[in-house]
Amino acid sequence: MKKWLASAIITLMAVVIVTGCGAKNNDNTGSEASGNNSSNAGDTKTYKFATDASYAPMEFMDKDELKGFDIEFLDAVMKQAGLKYEVANTGWDAMLESVKQGTEYQGGVSSVSITDDRKQTYDYSMPYFESRNVIMVKEGSEIKSATDLKGKKVAVQTGTTADILMTKIMGNGNTDLKKFDSNAVALMELDQGGADAVVADIAIVKYYIQTNPNKKYVSIEDTTNFAPEYYGLLFPKGSDLAAKVDPAIKAIIDNGTYTELYKKWFGEEPNTDHLLNAK
Amino acid sequence: MDFKFDIIWDYAPLFWKGTLYTILISISGVALGSILGLFVGFGKMSRRWYLRWPMQSYINFFRGTPLLVQIYIVHFGLMPLLLGKTNSIAAAITALTLNAAAYTAEIYRAGIQSIDKGQAEAAHSLGMTHFQTMRFIILPQAIRRMIPAFGNEFIVLVKDSSLTALITAPEIMYWAGVMKGQYIRIWEPYLTAAFIYFILTYSLSKLLNWIERKANRQ
Repeated sequence: MKKWLASAIITLMAVVIVTGCGAKNNDNTGSEASGNNSSNAGDTKTYKFATDASYAPMEFMDKDELKGFDIEFLDAVMKQAGLKYEVANTGWDAMLESVKQGTEYQGGVSSVSITDDRKQTYDYSMPYFESRNVIMVKEGSEIKSATDLKGKKVAVQTGTTADILMTKIMGNGNTDLKKFDSNAVALMELDQGGADAVVADIAIVKYYIQTNPNKKYVSIEDTTNFAPEYYGLLFPKGSDLAAKVDPAIKAIIDNGTYTELYKKWFGEEPNTDHLLNAK
Repeated sequence: MDFKFDIIWDYAPLFWKGTLYTILISISGVALGSILGLFVGFGKMSRRWYLRWPMQSYINFFRGTPLLVQIYIVHFGLMPLLLGKTNSIAAAITALTLNAAAYTAEIYRAGIQSIDKGQAEAAHSLGMTHFQTMRFIILPQAIRRMIPAFGNEFIVLVKDSSLTALITAPEIMYWAGVMKGQYIRIWEPYLTAAFIYFILTYSLSKLLNWIERKANRQ
């Protein structure tokens, strides 16, 4: 009898915890996007977006809350489009796989660069953010460009465009190119002397240098080896969501909402001409 | 489901290299770990508190914290302290050794304590010293009982070595991650990795069964 009672209590607690958390998530994200101001007013479906919230300042967790430029950008876009949505932190791998399937999550927002290879597996929104890979080294390093990195130890995050670019320069299978699961750990490797440089997106590097002034790092922009690249929202192949979202992205760029958001997070004006003219 | 065997073929040499590193890291870990574990285990069984207490804490720490955290501590804390910079392979072996030592220590202790007290008493009454009793009576019986537990620990360690991919030790899981990054596909790299681990652990368990049979036949 006692055993039965104990297991009943445990089950009850589990149910309360699970449903409690679920309800809270809905409050946070779902209801935010209720403002209808466009042609999709009849669409009452709640679209679920996945993200990998380990990419400050683009997307990160502040306690149990998602924050970052991408998160606020998505909010602005979905409000503009008049669509209901939710965002969940699933991690990078789970995001890629579940967005590919498109059943549980219908979109991904996680500073995903638009590349031709990825276009074979996914649909993208129009470009919404211009980025570039930069090299981060200690002050006074002799590394001046990407080609100087040959024969040096370089840390990157696996699967990022920095990884793709450096693999091309240093060769696939080269163990001097250390591929970490996140940029945070790659940056730590540089701190602890295991790497001579980190290559990552400019937003990440600037943010790290800015928040760690005592570590005396500098960023090197190599415009010849690292071309500009563009982030897009990620959708499964054949998704109808891209068509609904693109006009909204254009609209918030045109009406200044985008510029405001950009200034809030990066302290400078974006070059929106580049975005609108990119491919 | 579309499954691209050609990209696995592309990565075959790297998976091969990774397999060798996995074997190197696991064998080093279990070998060094069981030597270190011997001291930790006997320390824990010691009647002297100043030997017993630190070894007990050691075991509690390494069994009570996640291996991943231990790997990060060794990689970003211990290695920079010892070598002045990080070294993923050295860190991988060190972390697995320290971890395995805690588990093997308990295997030694359980094995030795499982032998009936009467055996030692009988040996003492025959006039054997403490060392002789251990060497000729207790250990030969205890080791036979330890073999399955050791085998288990070895197999667990082979699989756990996959965590060192996160500090870029170039073993199987690391190259699976690299492959995943290049193609943004999950199943090809991870199922290939799982397949290799399965081959490794399955042949290992066959080998251990054989050793066990051989030890029991004597």
